[in-house]
Amino acid sequence: MPSTRDIRRRIKSVKNTRQITKAMELVAASKMKKAQAAALAGRPYAQLMADMLAALAPRVGENQHPLLVRRDVKVRGILLVTTDKGLCGPLNANLFKLVTEIRMPAKYVAIGRKGAQFLARTKRDVLADFTVSDRAGFNEVKTPVEFMVKLFLEGSIDTVEVIYPRYKNTLVQEAVARPVLPLSNVKDFVSTLRAEAGAGKFTDERDMLFEPSADAVLAALLPFYVNRYIHQLVLSAKASEQSARMVAMKTAKDNATKLLGDLTLEYNKARQAGITQEILEIAAAAFSAS
Amino acid sequence: MPLTLEIVTPEAKVYSDTIDSVVVPTVEGEIGVLPGHIPLLTQVADGELRVTKGGATSWLAVGGGFAQIDGDRVRVLAEHAITEEKIDENTVEAAMKRAEEELKAAKTMDPQQYEHLQSLVRYSGVQLAVKRRRR
Repeated sequence: MPSTRDIRRRIKSVKNTRQITKAMELVAASKMKKAQAAALAGRPYAQLMADMLAALAPRVGENQHPLLVRRDVKVRGILLVTTDKGLCGPLNANLFKLVTEIRMPAKYVAIGRKGAQFLARTKRDVLADFTVSDRAGFNEVKTPVEFMVKLFLEGSIDTVEVIYPRYKNTLVQEAVARPVLPLSNVKDFVSTLRAEAGAGKFTDERDMLFEPSADAVLAALLPFYVNRYIHQLVLSAKASEQSARMVAMKTAKDNATKLLGDLTLEYNKARQAGITQEILEIAAAAFSAS
Repeated sequence: MPLTLEIVTPEAKVYSDTIDSVVVPTVEGEIGVLPGHIPLLTQVADGELRVTKGGATSWLAVGGGFAQIDGDRVRVLAEHAITEEKIDENTVEAAMKRAEEELKAAKTMDPQQYEHLQSLVRYSGVQLAVKRRRR
């Protein structure tokens, strides 16, 4: 049986742990709200962009723009979006599982330190790694995306896919691999996009005019779209990160509270046993003396 | 029949109202839009966007994007947009100066950073022009 002093020491350390996890839970909760708001604020923008692509879609042939051309896939390009810090439950581990399932030759770009470390540890072909702050501004995400688009256009990678934790709700985040480039079939692509964004129909039946020209607008819109799309995925990943961390910290806090209850009970029992022992000893001494 | 104008940036919906007419800065020059305009999809340049509503004109500074005119709906997709009242001259000026200095100081800079700073300077200039136009 451990002494009361040992138990007291453990109680103290568990209390500290509980305090820390509680603080981290609160921090994650407030960051989560911000991240969710940011992910939601991007929605009207995404919808409008889908509408514009939809307007262009009938004018676009298969091979009109390099970003649309489908090639034989020899080397996949994977953008792995992970967190910078740990303590967020199984979030990163689930992403890594998806990565280990890739059997084809692939080159990787990582956003987030955890992913970079994992890729280095498993000796995969890492082209670059980036870190993005919690705010995940458009310009921060633009750099890795433009880096990948450049490689895609140069032909050193034949696809661009994003592996990220998709935000479903506070409790559920799923690891998803989403193909982004090539945007091989614009029409299919636009229709899924519109279904996702819930876009409306056009009211005007007249032929749409494009200025300076349909090609020029397309050439400007597509790279912009790719940037914006991946930015939205990263925002979703950030929301996932914060909610996963909040849930993990809440579990840790609850466990600490439970452990604390058990330890307190044990401590009181040990204390009571000690007192009983002392009384017995005194009584025995008094009895033998008389 | 009035027009509806929506201006959307990645961060938020900046403007949404029914208006009489709007002048949009595009890469081909300014275009004025009145009700009944032909459907149009065009590229928006950095510049000032003029909105007329009930005889009163208001200004917005917009930075690069696209505009779609469909029926009586004008929708602008911009990287930045800010209404005239919200422009704070001092902060914009400071930001512009900082970006300009960074541009001058750095001889070798990666092209993306360079481009970002340049667009910052350009957009700051537009904001100042919008803010100061009525003096």
